[in-house]
Amino acid sequence: MPVALAVRNLSKSFGALAVTDNVSFAVNDGEILGVIGPNGAGKTTLFGLLAGNIVPSAGAIEFLGEDVTALPPHERARRGIARTYQVPRPFGHMTVYENLMVAARFGGRLDLDDAGPWVDRVLAMTGMQREAATLAGRLPLLMRKRHELARALAMRPRLLLVDEVAAGLTDEEVNQFIALIQAIRKTGVTVVWIEHVMKTMLTATDRLIALHSGRLLASGAPQDVFASPEVRRVYLGA
Amino acid sequence: MTDDDVYWALIDVANGLISGTMLGGYYAIIAIGLTLTFGVMRLVNLAHGDWLVFSAYLSLVFLSLVPISPLYTLIGVVPVMYGVGYALQRLLLNRVSVQAMEQKGMSTSFGLMSPILVTFGMSIVLAQGLLAGFSSNTQVIRNELSYSAIQLSEDLSVSTLRLTFFCVAVAILVLTALLLRATHVGRAIRAASDDAEIAPLMGMRPARIYATASGISLAIAGVAGVMVGMTRPFQPFDGPQFLLVAFGVVILGGMGSLAGSLVGGILLGVVQILAGTYFGPSAQLVGGYMLILAVLALKPQGLFAR
Repeated sequence: MPVALAVRNLSKSFGALAVTDNVSFAVNDGEILGVIGPNGAGKTTLFGLLAGNIVPSAGAIEFLGEDVTALPPHERARRGIARTYQVPRPFGHMTVYENLMVAARFGGRLDLDDAGPWVDRVLAMTGMQREAATLAGRLPLLMRKRHELARALAMRPRLLLVDEVAAGLTDEEVNQFIALIQAIRKTGVTVVWIEHVMKTMLTATDRLIALHSGRLLASGAPQDVFASPEVRRVYLGA
Repeated sequence: MTDDDVYWALIDVANGLISGTMLGGYYAIIAIGLTLTFGVMRLVNLAHGDWLVFSAYLSLVFLSLVPISPLYTLIGVVPVMYGVGYALQRLLLNRVSVQAMEQKGMSTSFGLMSPILVTFGMSIVLAQGLLAGFSSNTQVIRNELSYSAIQLSEDLSVSTLRLTFFCVAVAILVLTALLLRATHVGRAIRAASDDAEIAPLMGMRPARIYATASGISLAIAGVAGVMVGMTRPFQPFDGPQFLLVAFGVVILGGMGSLAGSLVGGILLGVVQILAGTYFGPSAQLVGGYMLILAVLALKPQGLFAR
């Protein structure tokens, strides 16, 4: 299977503090890779490095065979890297439809004629048709989370970086998100997914990596990573 | 009180409301550019008034080249000022913007300060440049409109020039609102103003979006400058006066609100004219500032704050 994303010896320090420490991993095309780790493990920083908000201190990021390490965020977005935030950050003074439109037009590089129908499809896929005309800043939490995913999807990404959707949701709602993300993957999108809720990660991902203090602790099949002594020590203190 | 007294008292009020409203449209045009750049990128452009005066001179230059009616110089002034705004933002202001400073790890308050210092310097350079180029002689853009008035009734009239400007102001407001609401570029500007960190993740280039917003801002300042020049005599150092008017309007209407700049402008205009009518010319300024103080005390974020 071809590699969609390859991360090589990636490091980021803020002063003396290494938030990401010599991390290397690869994600195959069409795969769902879960990222786990305790608070402060460097998971969200890793997403910042991949999306381009954070400039690495060392290392390289290769996306679809191209070195994107030096590219600014908007160039990475246009190449197909989309990122969501744990605390959704919609353009609050714009409607849901407008939010998706800017994502489709800029990130998705669609022209006006194609952007409209595409946004309609994304709204249907994410179950947000009825919210299309709502100001995104006024959406309730669950809808905000869905909107965050919908807007990323509107960019027609090749790689979707999902940062914690399960927190604060009921099991039923989490299952809806799992189904949605798996449906997105079926359309050919590669997914990297950070989650705190272990149950979700076990069932919903193809492979896991575990981070601790910025370092890669373990990687492999979900059950194997959970069973590994290093991960158990970090999580259970055992 | 006789019927006659009542009639004239009403005429005074009506005249005050009409000329105040007309003045308000003119004030709004002066303020829109300022409120737009603040709303979009938290940039307070202290040279806004100087660019306005610069545009008035630019209009004079065009008039010296081709003998046309002054309003037609807008065809030249507006695109030139758009280009100036775009280039300034791209080459200079983007480097010192609050966003750039935050990215370099500076605090937000430092970030907000740096473009203020830079545009303050720009204001001095512009005024001195105009002085060197055009001398300190008072200039005026001659036009026929300022001599004519439209008679509304026997005792009520409105200056044709002011009415024209009011209509232009409303047209510019509507066009700007439409541009922001319904176009590709406008949505990008609104997105970047909502969350400058997220916009690039959606594929937008803030540097270019900000440059476009600055271009629009100075293009509108260009319209304001030509109007100012057609209304009253001007000199190279008049910029700060217009900056003050713009600040007043923006405080009243709320930073970043287009509708607020029209309402704020009209409020300021009406209060100034009525204060002048009842308490003499010296009360005009005092009345305006008292209104601003009252709004600052009661609704400091402005009447139409986002």
